[in-house]
Amino acid sequence: MKKNILLGLSFVLMVIALYLVFVYVPTEKEMGIVQRIFYLMVPLGWLSLLAFLIVFIGSILYLAKRESKWDILASSSAEIGIVFTTLALITGSIWAKPIWGVWWTWEPRLTATLVLWLVYLAYLIVRSYATDEERGARFAAVVGIVGFIDIPIVALATTLWRGMHPGPIIFQGGLAPAMLLTLLVSIAAFTFLYSVLLIQKVSMKNDEMEMKRLKELHS
Amino acid sequence: MRFWRKVIAIAWKDTLSEVRTKETVSSVLVFTLLVIVIFNFAFGTSQETMVLVAPGILWVTFAFAGVLSLNRSFILEKEEGCLEGLMVCPISRETIYVGKLLGSLLFMLVIEAIALPIFAFLFNLVLSLQLVVITVLATVGFVTVGTLFSALAVNTRAREMVLPILFLPIVVPVIICAVKASGLALSGEPWGSLSSWLQIIVAFDAIFLVVSFLVFAFVIEE
Amino acid sequence: MENAGYLLAAFAIAWALVFGYVLLLFSRQRRLRREIDSLKEALKEKH
Repeated sequence: MKKNILLGLSFVLMVIALYLVFVYVPTEKEMGIVQRIFYLMVPLGWLSLLAFLIVFIGSILYLAKRESKWDILASSSAEIGIVFTTLALITGSIWAKPIWGVWWTWEPRLTATLVLWLVYLAYLIVRSYATDEERGARFAAVVGIVGFIDIPIVALATTLWRGMHPGPIIFQGGLAPAMLLTLLVSIAAFTFLYSVLLIQKVSMKNDEMEMKRLKELHS
Repeated sequence: MRFWRKVIAIAWKDTLSEVRTKETVSSVLVFTLLVIVIFNFAFGTSQETMVLVAPGILWVTFAFAGVLSLNRSFILEKEEGCLEGLMVCPISRETIYVGKLLGSLLFMLVIEAIALPIFAFLFNLVLSLQLVVITVLATVGFVTVGTLFSALAVNTRAREMVLPILFLPIVVPVIICAVKASGLALSGEPWGSLSSWLQIIVAFDAIFLVVSFLVFAFVIEE
Repeated sequence: MENAGYLLAAFAIAWALVFGYVLLLFSRQRRLRREIDSLKEALKEKH
C-alpha cells in the first residue's frame, strides 16, 4: 500500500514537471520549442549517473561486508539505471536530429553516456555469465567499482577529444530563473521516480529470495 | 624486496613458458599484422587518407591484440590448474596480480616493438620517440585493467567473449588519448601538444593500477 | 512550432518506456507476492 502511495506521489510530481515544461517555461530563443527536450535529457543523464553511484556504493559495501542486501541494492540500481541510460541516449538522439540534422553525434556528453551504457551492460552480463550466484555478485561488484571510477576519466577524455573539433554542444550560456526552476523540478521528479523504482526492485529481489527459500522448504 | 622477487618469479614463469612454446606470441603477432593489412585495404591508398586513419588503425589493432593476449594469459593458467597452484603458495593475491601484469606487459611490448616498425613501413610513416612513449604508457593502461578482467572472465561461462565486453568500454579513454596523441606525434608535433593526452593516460594508469591491485583478491578468491 | 514533432516524440517515448517499466515491475511484484502466499499456504498444509 505504501508503495502505491509513493508511486502516486511520483506521478503527481511528474505531472507538475510536465506542466512546467510545456506551459510555464518560456520558449528558448535559439533552438525554439525543441529545446524543451533538455528538461528531459538532463534529468535522465543525471539519473544514469546517480544510479551508477548507488551501484558503486552497493558494490563496495558488498565486497566489504558480504551481506546480500548490498548486492541486491547494487543490482537493482543497475537494472533501473540501464533503463534510464537507454532513455537518455534515445532522447539525446531525438534532440540531435532537429538541432544538428543527424540522428547521432559524437558529442562529448552523448559519447560518455554511450560508454556508461556499455559499462552497465558489462555489469549485467558479468552477473548472468558467472557460473554461480555468489561469483556473479562478486564479479559484478568489481565491475561496478572499476566502471564508476572510469566514468570521470571517460568524461574528461571525450570532452578534450571533442574540444579539438568544436561541434554541436548540448547547451551553453546561463539559465533564466524560470528555466532553472523547471529543470530542478524535473530533476526532482525523476529522482523521486528512481527512488520509488529502486525500493520496488529491492523488495522484489527480496521476495524472489524468499520464494527460493520457500521452494526449498517445500521440496 | 620479498614482494618484488616473487612478482618477478611469476612474470618470469610466464615469460619463460612463452619463450619456450612461442605459441601465443606468434599467433598474436600474425593477427596484428593481418589486421593492419586488412585495414589498409579497407581505407584505400591515398597518402592523405593514410595519414588520417593511421593512428586509429594502430590503436584498434593494439586493442584487439591486447584482448587476444590477455585472454590467453589466464585461460592457459586455468586449464593447467596453475592458478590453483599459485593460490596455494604462500604469496598474496596482489603478488599474483603484479606478476601476471608484468608478464602481460612484457608480452605486449614485444608484440608492439615488432608491429610498430612494420606499421611505419607499410604506412610510410616516421616512428618517433613520442610514438614509443605513447605506446608504452597506453599498454600499461591496457594491462592494468586487462589483467584484472581476464582473471575475472576466465571464471565465467563465455570466457573469450566476456573479456572484450568488460575491457573495451573501460579503456575507451586510453584509446581516445592514444589515438589523438599518436596522430599528433606522426605529424611531428612537439611534446607540448601531446601533454594533455599523455597526462590522461598516465592518470588512468596510476588510478587503475591502484584500484585493480586492491580489488584483484576479490576476483580470484575461491 | 517547427520541430514540435520531435519534442512530442521524445516525451512520448520517455513516458511510454517509463510507464511500461513501472507497470512491468509492479505487476511482476504482484505475481511474486501471490506465488509466495500460495507457497506459504502449501507449506502450512504440509505441517
